[in-house]
Amino acid sequence: MGGVDTVSNIIRFFVLLFLQVFIFRQISLGWGGAAYVFVFVGPLFVALLPLRTPKPLVVIFAFFFGLAIDLFYETLGVHAAAATFCGYVRQFVLAVLEPKDGYKVKASPDGKDLSPSWWLAYLAYLTLGYVVFYFSMEAFSPVYWKQISLKSLLTTPASLLACGILVAFFRPRV
Amino acid sequence: MEQILRIFYNNGSFFTFIGLQLLCLYLIVNFNSPQSAIAVETASIVTGSVKSGVGTVEGYLNLEEENEIQRREIADLRSRLPEAGYSTAVETDSIEDPTYTQRFIHLTANVVNRSPYSPNNTLVIDRGTSQGVAEGQGVIGSQGLIGIVDLATENFARVISILHRSAKISATLRNNAYGTLEWDGQDPRNMTMTDIADYLVVEKGDTVFTTGFSNVFPTGQVIGTVVSSETQAGTGRQNLKVALVNDPLHTNYALVVRDLFKEELAKLKPLN
Repeated sequence: MGGVDTVSNIIRFFVLLFLQVFIFRQISLGWGGAAYVFVFVGPLFVALLPLRTPKPLVVIFAFFFGLAIDLFYETLGVHAAAATFCGYVRQFVLAVLEPKDGYKVKASPDGKDLSPSWWLAYLAYLTLGYVVFYFSMEAFSPVYWKQISLKSLLTTPASLLACGILVAFFRPRV
Repeated sequence: MEQILRIFYNNGSFFTFIGLQLLCLYLIVNFNSPQSAIAVETASIVTGSVKSGVGTVEGYLNLEEENEIQRREIADLRSRLPEAGYSTAVETDSIEDPTYTQRFIHLTANVVNRSPYSPNNTLVIDRGTSQGVAEGQGVIGSQGLIGIVDLATENFARVISILHRSAKISATLRNNAYGTLEWDGQDPRNMTMTDIADYLVVEKGDTVFTTGFSNVFPTGQVIGTVVSSETQAGTGRQNLKVALVNDPLHTNYALVVRDLFKEELAKLKPLN
C-alpha cells in the first residue's frame, strides 16, 4: 500500500475508495439537523502519489479519484472538483514545504525520509484545500460562506486525523 | 505557434486543472439539483442585470427622440390652457338716450404687453381692428388716461402711453384755460401742462380735464391735479406741474375710446 510503483498506487486508489465509501461515509456528526463533521481521505490519495508524477497527471488522477467517490456519494462532480483542486495545489504545497536540500529525485512522499511534522503540514494544506473547495462546491454560492467556513473548520481536523493515522499506519511499510 | 505550444506544455497542470474544473462544474450543475437551482438563479440574476444595463443605455440613446416627443406634448398641452386662448367676447357699452346721440363708444381691453420703463413708454392691448380699434383712438383707464393707439393689427393694438415724450394731449382747467400736456421723461407721477397764459390764476389742487378738442379722449375726463405753476419768463406763458390721478404704467384694464364724430369733425379742422 505504501509503494511508489504503479500497482501500489492502483491498489491504494481502491483501498482508499473503499475506506471512504464504506467506512468514513458513515461519519457525519452535527447538530440541529445539519451535519458539520465529515471525514475525507481524498487528500491522502493525492498526497501519496509519487513525487515524480507529472503535474498534469496528478490533476487527472485526482479527478478520477474524486469522480469515483462521487459515483457512490451521488454528488456527481462535487468530490471530483475538490480532488482536482487538491491535485492542482499539491505542486505548490510541495514547493512551499521543500526541504533545504530538496527532495530526493526518485523519492515518493511516502514518509521514509521525511519527518512527521513535514507530513502533518503537507497533509494539512492538502486537506484544507480539498475541504474548503468541497464545501464551496457543495453550497455553490458565496452567500453560504458561514456554513462553508463552519463545515471546513470542523471537517479539516477530523479528516486530517484520519489521514494522519492512515499515514502513520502505512508509513513503515514502504 | 511553438511558443504557444510551449506555454501549454509548461503550464500543463494548470490547463488540465481548468479543463477538469469546467467538466466538474458541468457535472455539478447537471446532476445535482440544489446546485443546478442555484446556477439557474444566478444566471437569471446576471442576465437580468445585463438586460437592465442594456435597457438603461438604450434609454440614453433614445433620449433625444424622447425629448422631442415630450416637447411636442408640452406644446400641445400648453395650447389647451385657458391662457393660450384669445377672448373674442367684445364688450362695448353705449347708452340709449333719445336726448343725446351717441358720440363716444368705450371698448374694454386688457394690457397684454408693455415696453420696459423708459422715457418713451408703449404698451399693447388685446383689441384690434376686428373690434373697431383704429390708429389715433384714445385709451383711458377707469381713472385718468393711458395713451393713444399708434398701430392696430387684427387682434391687437400698440398704444403710445401718455408717458411718452412725443405724446401731446390737449387739456383744460375749470376756468376753460387750455394747454398741452407733455411728459419730460422723468417722473412718471407728474406731467407738465404748457401754453397757459401767465395772467391766469391757477391754484394748487385745480383739476385738469381733457378738452375733447382733439376727439381722442372724451370731454371732461379727469387727468390730474395741479401741483405747482411756473411762469416762463419772456413768453407770457406759465407751465403747470400736474400730478396724474392714475398710474398709466401699471394699469392692466383699459378702455378704448372711439369717437363716432371723428370723421365729421375732421372736415371742420380749424384753419391756422
